[in-house]
Amino acid sequence: MMFLNMKLLAHHGLNGFGGMGEGMSMQLLRGGRRVLWLAHESAPKNFTAVDVTDPRAPKVVVQTDLPHAQMRSNSLEVAGDLMAVAYQVTRFGLKPAGFELFDVSEPERPRSISFFDASGPYSRGCHQLWFVDGATVHMACADPQLKPRDPKDDQVYRIVDVSDPAKPTAVGRWHLPGTMEGDDAPPPERLAPKFDAGFRAHNTNVYPERPERCYLGYLDGGMMVLDISERSRPKLVSRWSNSPPYNGFTHTVLPLFERGLLAVSDEAILDNGEDWPKLVWLLDARDERRLVSVSTLPAPPVDAFLRRGGRFGAHNLHENPPLPGAWRSESILLGTFFNAGVRAYDISDPYVPREIAYYVPDAPDGAPAGTVQLNDVFVDDRGIVFTVDRHAGGLYVLEMNI
Amino acid sequence: MIPDARTPVVVVTGFLGSGKTTLLNKLVSAKKESLVIVNEFGEVGVDHHLIDHSEERTVALPNGCLCCRLRGDLEETLIGAAMRRRRGDIAGFDRVLVETSGLADPGSVAQTLFADQALARDYKLGPVVTVVDAADVEGRRSSAEIARAQIAAADVVVLSKADRTRGLDGVQTEIHELNPSVRCIPAAFGEVDPAVLLETQTGNDKAFPAAAAHAGGIETFVLRFERPVPRALLERFIATLVGLRGADLLRVKGTVPLESGEHVLVQGVRHVFDRLRPVARGEPALVFITKQVRRNEIEALWHAMAGLVRE
Repeated sequence: MMFLNMKLLAHHGLNGFGGMGEGMSMQLLRGGRRVLWLAHESAPKNFTAVDVTDPRAPKVVVQTDLPHAQMRSNSLEVAGDLMAVAYQVTRFGLKPAGFELFDVSEPERPRSISFFDASGPYSRGCHQLWFVDGATVHMACADPQLKPRDPKDDQVYRIVDVSDPAKPTAVGRWHLPGTMEGDDAPPPERLAPKFDAGFRAHNTNVYPERPERCYLGYLDGGMMVLDISERSRPKLVSRWSNSPPYNGFTHTVLPLFERGLLAVSDEAILDNGEDWPKLVWLLDARDERRLVSVSTLPAPPVDAFLRRGGRFGAHNLHENPPLPGAWRSESILLGTFFNAGVRAYDISDPYVPREIAYYVPDAPDGAPAGTVQLNDVFVDDRGIVFTVDRHAGGLYVLEMNI
Repeated sequence: MIPDARTPVVVVTGFLGSGKTTLLNKLVSAKKESLVIVNEFGEVGVDHHLIDHSEERTVALPNGCLCCRLRGDLEETLIGAAMRRRRGDIAGFDRVLVETSGLADPGSVAQTLFADQALARDYKLGPVVTVVDAADVEGRRSSAEIARAQIAAADVVVLSKADRTRGLDGVQTEIHELNPSVRCIPAAFGEVDPAVLLETQTGNDKAFPAAAAHAGGIETFVLRFERPVPRALLERFIATLVGLRGADLLRVKGTVPLESGEHVLVQGVRHVFDRLRPVARGEPALVFITKQVRRNEIEALWHAMAGLVRE
């Protein structure tokens, strides 16, 4: 394995179902117990809960199945004892497409409370959701009332009120003008066919520091800051895009409020570096209407990783979730970079970010690309780094020594 | 404070036969994720065969004494190891252990790390561990200059063969008179808690005794700081000192409070000083181990420069 200032405390293959998505959320229970909830990347498993109270001895406490193989959960969030799990189907019209709410007050026995149905003739349901206040789900999800001009553009930004968890209620949505039938705006100019991944929502972050703002990754459309002070009518505040000339798939927008910065990640989606460069960008956001790119996080040696196997490049960031048990930092960023592992950066000087730690596990058994493909990362308030492999490796628990 | 993510380079030094290799084997068996660099002096390299550590993580520099002929090799080895680590061409490592030959002045390794900016990006000086054969009084006398340099450079002195030595207290007193801030650990058969050695800070972390003069013109004393100082003054003081008497500064180290509110670590060996690096609060003082530079001379220089700045 490769490492710098990170040490493996434990590895758990998750009972042979180690292909993990991009949902990682920590639940704090009475008596100091900590449970990490993980969404799987694909069928047959839905989600897995791991007791990580002792980070050196993680234990699976529950693992659930999906109802069929033409779907995936991919994303989840836990707020208090309530968990929201995204459901995305492989083809328009399939069900269940939307999200499900669970009572997880007893982690061993998750109890379904309700289901928000977003299925429809032009819907693949929900790919990703953000749920941190116990009352509102912000998500990238199709709306059956909309018909995308291009089938790749089906998932929009949606707001669902779950203050009554038994009755989730859609309260607002926003999509890039020009992407839906009936829009006045012309369709957006698409990227080259090789890179055309769609103009649709991905991460939908909303923080208590600025509850009237949504920080939205919009794949080939770049990133948006939305004004959601009127939840029924989100409005565009600003937009920043690197593509073209870059190759699209803007994924996460992480605001660093005290610094006046945004960290914006792309996602690498093609193997063997076919869509390189996929980077993490730092934006000067002191004026949210005039976003300026000031640097990118330094990449590991590109020639050493590009064709090592599988994907190489940026993906998820630790998103400073405003939840108990989560680590929050405005000067250190952590992200996953598929075959280049999990990496930490000191951004004290946003013009000169520095790599300060990394861990690249050896290829796990059953790795289809012959490399690890680290997919997501979560850091808890003890400084323990949890990261997951996309295909086979399951959960890696790391200590960061900086 | 900006995190210091650099990999520490731990220097293990001591006379031939003092027990360096025994100690090194103990360290690497407890801390397997170390890169070991062994310096051998002589036509037939043997030491690295005595190191019980993976081949991949052991590098022998066979061409001479590390202090006088091998600086280029050490730099190349360290830079190359950092590059290959980043590329995944070698297994990861979280510290470097450099074993110097028995005749080496370990200060030169520190100089290399302070002076080379490419190296200083990836590495920092870890503790200098000097192994002293407590029973070998004759050896220390016959090579007094090297022995003093090795003790002066140390953050930790491991007194080997302590179980076979009478008058251990006297040896410790002798060492502390020369290097008042050094940590002294008696050991038998290399049995030392590795954490004690590897986690000792390179700065000063204890109270200092009064000044002392030793045979061979070695002077040991402390310059204390009653109040925070301007960074520019401290930098000019060091530059002046180096310009005037750099060759005679065997080791200078300590923590100085700045007017900005920061505390900085000062470390230097002869003409070469590390750049001032922020550290947690420490005792506001610099320890000087010099050759024929006296306390009153250093104090006079400091007070003269500080007086000019204030006026």
